[in-house]
Amino acid sequence: MKRNKGMIILFLTPAVFMFSVIFLYPIIRTVIMSFFKIDGITDPVARWQFTGLANFVKLANTSLFRISMWNLFRIWFFGGIIVMSLALLFAVIITSGIRFKSFFRAVIYLPNIVSAVALATMWLQYVYSPKFGLLKTVFTNLGLTSLAKIQWLDNDHKFAALLLAYCFGMVGYHMLIFASGIERISSDYFEAATLDGANKFNQFRYITVPLLKGVFKTNITMWSVTSVGFFVWSQLFSTVTADTQTITPMVYMYMQIFGAGNSITERNSGLGAAIGVLLSVCVVTVFWICNHLLKDDDLEF
Amino acid sequence: MKKKAMALITASAMALSLTACGGGGTTAETTAAPAAPAETTAAPAGDGNTAVPAADGSGLVYWSMWEATEPQGQAIQAAVDKFTADTGIAVDLQFKGRTGIREGLQPALDAGTNIDMFDEDIDRVNTTWGQYLMDLEDLVKGADYEATANAGLMAACREVGGGTLKSIPYQPNVFAFFYNQAIFDEAGITAVPTTWEELDAACAKIKEAGYTPITCDDAYITCMFGYHMSRLVGEPKTEEIVKGGQWDDPSVLATAQAYADFASKGYFSETIASNVWPAGQNQELAMGTAGMYLNGSWLPNEVKDMAGDDFVWGCFSYPAVEGGTDGTDAANYGAQVLAINKDSKNAENAFKLICYITQGEFDKMLSEMSVGIPADSNNTEWPELIACVKPVMDSMNTRYPWAAGAEANADLTPIIKENFLKLCGGSIDAQGFVDALKKAGN
Repeated sequence: MKRNKGMIILFLTPAVFMFSVIFLYPIIRTVIMSFFKIDGITDPVARWQFTGLANFVKLANTSLFRISMWNLFRIWFFGGIIVMSLALLFAVIITSGIRFKSFFRAVIYLPNIVSAVALATMWLQYVYSPKFGLLKTVFTNLGLTSLAKIQWLDNDHKFAALLLAYCFGMVGYHMLIFASGIERISSDYFEAATLDGANKFNQFRYITVPLLKGVFKTNITMWSVTSVGFFVWSQLFSTVTADTQTITPMVYMYMQIFGAGNSITERNSGLGAAIGVLLSVCVVTVFWICNHLLKDDDLEF
Repeated sequence: MKKKAMALITASAMALSLTACGGGGTTAETTAAPAAPAETTAAPAGDGNTAVPAADGSGLVYWSMWEATEPQGQAIQAAVDKFTADTGIAVDLQFKGRTGIREGLQPALDAGTNIDMFDEDIDRVNTTWGQYLMDLEDLVKGADYEATANAGLMAACREVGGGTLKSIPYQPNVFAFFYNQAIFDEAGITAVPTTWEELDAACAKIKEAGYTPITCDDAYITCMFGYHMSRLVGEPKTEEIVKGGQWDDPSVLATAQAYADFASKGYFSETIASNVWPAGQNQELAMGTAGMYLNGSWLPNEVKDMAGDDFVWGCFSYPAVEGGTDGTDAANYGAQVLAINKDSKNAENAFKLICYITQGEFDKMLSEMSVGIPADSNNTEWPELIACVKPVMDSMNTRYPWAAGAEANADLTPIIKENFLKLCGGSIDAQGFVDALKKAGN
């Protein structure tokens, strides 16, 4: 095929231009900002003070930031295991030919379309309430008084409470991605396996899982990106002032850029930018590891 | 290989762009009325344009921190409508909501957006946005504005404005203990506590009467720490301790001991360690099971629908402590303020509109609709629900910043909060509280 360079340039230019303006410029600016002390996020460059690696050093030495990174890891790792397991399980069930498939799929996906504010209010003020909460009522009725007495929102349990509420809303989304991946696998394989005497579990283990590698990769990347941006739920579980059990780097970044709580605290957008750089390094690392561990280009189907 | 490199770049771009604008892009968060007398709002930075400014540039652009649906927003809208009807000056009134204005105002001003005036909390306007403010001394003098203004609040505005007036207060508020008068009556408490010992005695009576003496929520728990510290050693010293992590100062342990003592006597709500705002104020204080709550004068308005018409409010300033430097005449009192952009070409008209909002008819309307304190000293009638606040407000001489300095160090606020909640909940003792703070370092 004859290549027309002019046409290639013509078609590529708008995309390259948009990519440069919308992605490359903010990335480069953010990286540069991370080496400066900047009060307001839109301060002119003339007012930036170069501080070298001071922002990164400060982050490393601040216990609250370390706590926030630990919380992020816990959300990503434990939340990831919970959400991916449930999403995969539901996806397999949904695609196994059960009746009312659309209904169940809609029900599991439903929390995604309800506002996070409404969902969090339900969890905080109803499910976890130590006075009339759902958990308290259920455990009391089951005679499990020690469980019924647990204050789910005190410091010892708040992280678990947050994680449970968050995962509840995220399963449906990842289930849909898994389900679409499973539906992409031709039914011929399963039929052939059935004829050869493979049971459902073996079909899942030797057909579904290997052929879902690419989907796993997609799901883990999506999960990592949304985990890194964990903000709204943290804010909802600790209004006004941040909480050691719910703070994430994104919340810490917000505090540094726009001030914390109701107090007028010192702001430093450079520090916020440094957090952005660190988080993006985390996501790229996860993506890189996934790419190496989950190679899916050896299979064609 | 190329494909992989591209994939890596795209992933990092996604992550960075997400982190770079994540804070600003997420507007669904709840903000518990920051020094702002109103309920939580999921505040999208929505515009509530009402009128288009005149093409000749004589119109005004006004960014407000309220939502159009809130009582404050409605009263301001009414004032603006009357202003436009009287003067013929169009006003582009944009309700930005709390997060909207907090995140968006400074970038907009830096980008040269035409904004003549805006409003927010007294400290944020004068400190964070101080560089954008016009000096209002001449305009105020010309209009003889101070004849009817609240002198204390005007002085507070001058103080935070660096000695000159750069903002006009409206919707004043004060931070103090709010209590349920019926519980106090039933417990036989005839006078409000003015010292820590009197508070102790009052709590004992309330407990004996079968109620929870004090409740609180996670959002305000650090205020209790800050007020006690400031009563002991004054607010500047408290701020110094918090900013410098000087946890060995004896006042920290003394504060912790006072609260550990109350906790051991069962004066705090059983669920205080797990009360996520607004559980304590709604489910305990408003429901009549708890006696007191340290909060702002916006509290009666926030819970009025739950508390019911028969709920009688009482108010007293945080008690003095033995051997302490500050008395009950010190607290965080202030207001929302209106300010004019120093680059505004319509400053006189903007000031006229400020007078409409903060004086006479519309100040009264704002006070009535939001159950708030009037700013105009001629509006002597306070809404009944907060009539109890008047003696407290009138007694104020020293102004604390928010939380009396307890939240001055953003890196430590969550750690103080966690451990003070544990202290009040009884899971750690006073020394444990001090040790935990020391361990957290900065």
